Amino acid sequence: MSILSLQNISKKYGAVQALSGVSFDVPKGAVYGILGPNGSGKTTLLGIVTDVLKADTGSFTLFDQPATARQRRQMGTLLETPNFYHYLSGYRNLEIAAAIKQRGHDDIARVLQICGLTARQHAAFKTYSLGMKQRLAIASVLLGDPDVLVLDEPTNGLDPSGIAEVRELVRQLAGAGKTIILASHLLDEVEKVCTHVAILRRGQLLKSGSVEAVISRHDFLELAATDNTALQTALAAYPGCTSAQLNGNVVVAVFNDSPDAAAVNRYLSQQGIWLQHLQLRKKSLEKAFLEITNDPA
Amino acid sequence: MKQLLYTEWLKVKNYRTFWIMLLVAIIMIPAGNYVPAQVMSSRDLEQASKMLGQSPFGFPTVWQTVANISSYMTALFGLMLIILVTNEYTFRTSRQNIIDGWERRQFVYAKLAWVVLLSLIALLTAVLTAVVFGFIYGSQSFSLEGFSYMWYYWLQLLLALCIALLLAVLVKRTGFAMAIFLGYIMMLEQTLVLIIKRVAGPLGGLLPLQTGDELLPFPLVGKMVDSMSTRYDDSVYLIVLLGYIALAIYLVFRKVLKSDL
Repeated sequence: MSILSLQNISKKYGAVQALSGVSFDVPKGAVYGILGPNGSGKTTLLGIVTDVLKADTGSFTLFDQPATARQRRQMGTLLETPNFYHYLSGYRNLEIAAAIKQRGHDDIARVLQICGLTARQHAAFKTYSLGMKQRLAIASVLLGDPDVLVLDEPTNGLDPSGIAEVRELVRQLAGAGKTIILASHLLDEVEKVCTHVAILRRGQLLKSGSVEAVISRHDFLELAATDNTALQTALAAYPGCTSAQLNGNVVVAVFNDSPDAAAVNRYLSQQGIWLQHLQLRKKSLEKAFLEITNDPA
Repeated sequence: MKQLLYTEWLKVKNYRTFWIMLLVAIIMIPAGNYVPAQVMSSRDLEQASKMLGQSPFGFPTVWQTVANISSYMTALFGLMLIILVTNEYTFRTSRQNIIDGWERRQFVYAKLAWVVLLSLIALLTAVLTAVVFGFIYGSQSFSLEGFSYMWYYWLQLLLALCIALLLAVLVKRTGFAMAIFLGYIMMLEQTLVLIIKRVAGPLGGLLPLQTGDELLPFPLVGKMVDSMSTRYDDSVYLIVLLGYIALAIYLVFRKVLKSDL
């Protein structure tokens, strides 16, 4: 089953093409990252899915059905900013959210506890710090324990420990089999949890699919020896090595397939080069992402 | 619908501004009628009204008198509605309500419920005021003759609140919407009515809130003014008034259903 299926969604704001012909599917159980620089159309896309924005063309389904309020009630959604009644307490705001989601009030205490707001639940929303507002928004998303969560920049405004908590929470929810749609420009956030990604740039979908398929990130080796120049020359002659470059005190060797570190080590020793340092590294998502989004094509 | 009303109740239950405004708006109806009732029951004017054959605060004329005077106190109810609706845009909860699981039309239903509720509160207050004043200031016995003026008052309230709702969803900003609403109902429409009446005769009586005013003349004075100017039959004003209510509601739905929130 597709949780969300987008077909050819386009949207313009005046002269600005916010989205053009975006299509992709979010399978059940996926942790789907929507990546893109600021202004790439992530929030517009999620706004259309939640019916607060109208697409100019295209269509989408939720749970394989035409999207209505009934489908939205089965999702917990945080879109862009925490939106609450300023004059009401955190608790009373959650009562309203629960009423609209047609769920009982019995879950409010649990979600406040998860988000660390129990002590301040009866203070007015307008007295909350930015981080607390964001926590309340996450609490509202969790109300009723929905199977699908849509999180648009969930760590906005949080301090480092808050960011770590949210990341851990997302991981737990993913572990519990929830489907999560996560829009973010914080790539380590996505790198650690996502199974799938869609990459947007200036409203265009550049790539989408499983993380491995979208972002080819061959492992590379970091090596060092007494004579790094000799090491470099030896590596360049190794079958499958596409580049060996000196980077500070280490040589970074890239291969056209995942390298076998032991084989490389054996080969170098046969060449009379004894390594002081050998490490198998993965290209960071950030680097891969920048390569994709900076590609002028 | 029950769930919509419950949610709206949660929004205002602890909203002090709302309760204070409601209290003031309710008090203004009997208070606004009290001064004219006192003045007209003074000895000199009592003689005058006896000569004209009816006392404005006695049954059955009291229905018309109170309906007429109360129709000047509608502004505060309109401002309350504007606050309730523009708050949703200020706090961006208009979006959140939809995200969390309302249809857009349910958002409109919830706000239309306020239109009906606030207008019923005002109507009820005006009816009670008329009953009490009728007994205090009149010498005739209770009568429901002329109660239809109360329904005209209610329809004019509904229209004023629908205009407030339309302004709120179009303008979205509280202060701006309030300024336009007050400017329109207090000055602008009356000016337009006078100009159009001068140029095109009774057509000027067909501007939105003026239709209600035409249906709600002040007793005695109204009759004298009427005899001097040409006017349409009451049914025309009634139909046009209902037409404006329908138009305002249609425009509110169109705006909320079609545009980005």
